[in-house]
Amino acid sequence: MYVYLYDNFLRHKNFVSTIRQMEIMLTDFGIAGKILRIQNYTDSKAIIEDEIKRGAKTVVVVGNDSTFGQVLSRSATCDCTFGFLPVGPNNTIAEVLGIPAGVDACTTLSRRRKEFLDIGWMNNRYFVSQLHVFPGKLEVIYDERFKVSANDKMEVVVCNLQPFFWKRDKNDKEQRIVHPQDGKLEAFLRPLTKKGWWGYNYEEPSIFPFEEMVIMAKEPFTVEADGKVSKEIKIKIKLAHGKVEMIVGRNRQF
Amino acid sequence: MIFQKAKPVLDNELDPGGVSGQNIGDEVETVVGPSVNVEGDFASEGNIIIKGTVSGSVHTSKHLTVERGAKIVANVRAASASIAGEVKGNMKIKDSLELTSSAKILGDIDVKNLRVESGAIVYGRITMPGLEGIEKPGRSSKTGLKKNEEVILSETI
Repeated sequence: MYVYLYDNFLRHKNFVSTIRQMEIMLTDFGIAGKILRIQNYTDSKAIIEDEIKRGAKTVVVVGNDSTFGQVLSRSATCDCTFGFLPVGPNNTIAEVLGIPAGVDACTTLSRRRKEFLDIGWMNNRYFVSQLHVFPGKLEVIYDERFKVSANDKMEVVVCNLQPFFWKRDKNDKEQRIVHPQDGKLEAFLRPLTKKGWWGYNYEEPSIFPFEEMVIMAKEPFTVEADGKVSKEIKIKIKLAHGKVEMIVGRNRQF
Repeated sequence: MIFQKAKPVLDNELDPGGVSGQNIGDEVETVVGPSVNVEGDFASEGNIIIKGTVSGSVHTSKHLTVERGAKIVANVRAASASIAGEVKGNMKIKDSLELTSSAKILGDIDVKNLRVESGAIVYGRITMPGLEGIEKPGRSSKTGLKKNEEVILSETI
């Protein structure tokens, strides 16, 4: 049995026709199921566990990167197969998973090509797409072997499925992109150097693939994991191998 | 595999000086950027590009690139390397080592193939295999050579 978790933004008129076409196609394939709408404060884990008790085997997330992150960060440990139907803008994870945006995603879903995905673990919760540590005087220890520090502030981005986009500075028109590889997490460190009295300039990023990392600082720093923001003084980030069973497309990037 | 889509952009980005002269862009895995300091046992299974400062030890089973302005105060072990920065420590390179004109090495080198550009500075002992059975100049024929031939360089090449 299939359960579909729709993001709330899909109520907007821009997406109504796409959603209708998708629902028709899913019915044609014989994989239509119960539709649930998730809000900002919905606990997706409780909902999914409830549905699993009622016999659900496949949970399909319908929305964009933030929907995907919101659902999987909580419910990665649930005993079911996950699917994803990307709709609307901000769908970079779907590209990595090889799922085409819009109606074509239904065909990928119906083929049920399954893979186990690695996800990130940070201080007792999971993150699927990306973890962002905002600039601060940070110290990073990799795999308990070596320590990385910068002269001034430093920003850290840990990518799992979502690619890392960056620009040299504000005037740089060309957006650079680095795709993460599977089997490891990738940390992108960007030190900041002082420019004038108030300003800061971003330096070129350093790239470190890793399996375990500790970030600490003397003062609390801001962390954003799958859209959820918190203040921490020390975080431990690990890679959890093969946690999520996911339906993927043929053109996946791993 | 990391740089699948933006290959041309990132190749230029990661190797702007063209230090290595080799096409290693596809396999780049670890990059130590400028104004980043690394302390400890820095090890990687993939290629390493160093543009900042590293102290402790560096170990990779693939290619190591030390760019101009980078500084390593560590013992280095790698499959192959191209150096344009400064290295203080012993280097053990399995295959080939390339020293560009801006390279400064302060330590012993153990390597199979060595290429040195004019202007590179080396202060240390260079050991290369493959000279077994050849007599050392100025020694009697009775004195057999050790396993490896040793050349000591203490001046600017």
